[in-house]
Amino acid sequence: FIGETEPMRVLVTGGSGLVGKAIEHVVKQEGGCLEGEQWTFLSSKEANLVDLQQTRAVFEKYRPTHVIHLAAKVGGLYLHMKENLHFLRDNLRINDNVLQTSHERGVTKVVSCLSSCIFPDKTTYPIDESMIHNGPPHDSNFGYSHAKRMIDIQNRGYFAQHGRRYTAVIPTNVYGPYDNFNFENGHVLSALMHKTYAAKKEGTPLQVWGSGTPRRQFIYSLDVARLFLWVLREYDEIDPIILSVGEEEELPIKDAVEMIADALDFKGQIVFDTSKSDGQMKKTASNAKLRRYLPDFTFTPLSEGIKKTCDWFVNNYDIART
Amino acid sequence: MGDRKVDQNGPMRVLVTGGTGLVGRAIEHVVKEEGGAREGEEWIFLSSKDANLMDMGETRAVFQKHQPTHIIHLAAMVGGLFKNMRANLDFWRNNIYINDNVLQAAHEVDAVRVVSCLSTCIFPDKTTYPIDETMIHNGPPHESNYGYAYAKRMIDVHNRAYHQKHGRCYTAVIPTNVFGPHDNFNIEDGHVLPGLIHKAYIAQKEGSPLVVWGSGTPRRQFIYSLDLARLFLWVLREYHEVDPIILSVGEEDEVSIKEAAEAVVEALGFKGQVTYDTTKSDGQFKKTASNAKLLQHHPNFTFTPFKQALKQTCDWFVANYDNARKSWGSRPPISMQSWSIAVTWCSWRSNHNSPRPFSARSQTTSPGNTSSSPWQQV
Repeated sequence: FIGETEPMRVLVTGGSGLVGKAIEHVVKQEGGCLEGEQWTFLSSKEANLVDLQQTRAVFEKYRPTHVIHLAAKVGGLYLHMKENLHFLRDNLRINDNVLQTSHERGVTKVVSCLSSCIFPDKTTYPIDESMIHNGPPHDSNFGYSHAKRMIDIQNRGYFAQHGRRYTAVIPTNVYGPYDNFNFENGHVLSALMHKTYAAKKEGTPLQVWGSGTPRRQFIYSLDVARLFLWVLREYDEIDPIILSVGEEEELPIKDAVEMIADALDFKGQIVFDTSKSDGQMKKTASNAKLRRYLPDFTFTPLSEGIKKTCDWFVNNYDIART
Repeated sequence: MGDRKVDQNGPMRVLVTGGTGLVGRAIEHVVKEEGGAREGEEWIFLSSKDANLMDMGETRAVFQKHQPTHIIHLAAMVGGLFKNMRANLDFWRNNIYINDNVLQAAHEVDAVRVVSCLSTCIFPDKTTYPIDETMIHNGPPHESNYGYAYAKRMIDVHNRAYHQKHGRCYTAVIPTNVFGPHDNFNIEDGHVLPGLIHKAYIAQKEGSPLVVWGSGTPRRQFIYSLDLARLFLWVLREYHEVDPIILSVGEEDEVSIKEAAEAVVEALGFKGQVTYDTTKSDGQFKKTASNAKLLQHHPNFTFTPFKQALKQTCDWFVANYDNARKSWGSRPPISMQSWSIAVTWCSWRSNHNSPRPFSARSQTTSPGNTSSSPWQQV
């Protein structure tokens, strides 16, 4: 196989997104990159991965030995609820194009990115890696969820049929700089940060969509990035691995809202609009498998991660995706 | 888009993908010989020669050519146990592409209805019985054919998504074990009934015992292809849900493989010994499916009695032995797992290393087939 005796050439699809930027930071600023390695961070400007020819062309250009596959059509709850067909079809194509092209070119390893939102809706908790396919996903994002779940099926197929060691990680709710901070389409924390910033500027109350009671495990993008590098180099299973803080770190949206208000020094009123959907009430994931491999990994505390992200957002408002 | 726009009030133009397979042939019979087609309707039966449905360009071209208002989508990459087990990736990829291409092309030509074909073998492996339509996604499928199963399940996901976004009423049926003329009667790799018929035929010719693989105790619901075809037409015209519907005889009509073997023996007039090779795998013991939804919608439908349908199939096989399909392509013999794959679609001889995964089937009924109609009046 290529890449076994030569330094890695790593292609990161979705390289300009939330997780991609975090990986780039770890690689360039934290010594994540080893001697002689080449890291390329792709964005959709360079190649539309829904298109097979463009995917092949970009692989031909960079000739990767390893791939971190982050690219996807993705959004927050409200966008998914409207666009299940689009998310289903585009993500099936993107994933098949990336995995098949990787296989055709003899890429040694692909680490794809799933999400805890794809787990079965009716389930016992905590969720673990063996439960992905044990029932239908939540209705709000069924298109995206089914497409993402298929990455795991493809990984098993590529291994059984061709011996490829392609795998996947399953982060819980990621947040950090370079996220999508759009009010309607962004994920919960980033959308809330933007809303709080705007409410503070305009002197209006902060309107939080939903009741604030659903519970989530949040993981800082830099922590995800560090773990991604560990998975790329050291994790040898085909079965996926959950990347998350522990179950005891799960907290209601309300608590995160208060941390954001603190971080941005927001003193105004906070209102919960319960006419808006809450999404899933919980999706508690177990990080026992991760802890077996990495008992000593330290996660960034949530209030610290929120503060850093809010500071970044305020300082980079002009370039942030809003 | 072509001269022929879709007129929602005009007569149907129905495109049947996989039109030359077991179910396709049965539908063709109902349409042409039983008055299944109405005044002014056009029915087109596609085969793999007409278009490679794995290719979006070819799929769009054949849809543009025919401008169907309705589609019965039977085409798939399908195979026996051994083939599935060593090529789950190919089964998944090829079928995902076929299904996505067909549904998207249908949507683009503004087709009113698509009725796709699932199978009871895609249901969760660990489950309670009877299985019903709500349970498709409730757990992983059997390990041996997970690629095929997940790809088929995805049709249901697509249907819901097209409905949510575009208001399309695209749906699917879920037959249990289908049998009938024009099946693939391959012994090693075929489905259970045609395999038994072929074996009994040979045993009769050679004066040897009929050796049934397995204990004979697993239980199945069998549906005659002609009955399935009639129900397909009813679904196309009258069933307006997006959720799929199981097409099967009732739970009380479930038979054991032993009973099925005895019925084959009777139908062929086989007088030799029947033995059961219990070293061979039984496959799943049961996959009892509920037809309550079908009965609710269509309470007066009469199924062809099992023995009668089996006799018709055996008679057809004997009369058409030379032309009947008996091969999936070369492979070593394997233990015959009792499949509950309901329908044999077009059989694709797959070579997963070639860029074009399909080739024409090795044996088809010859165009000049002058066999008498297998479908006697029921």
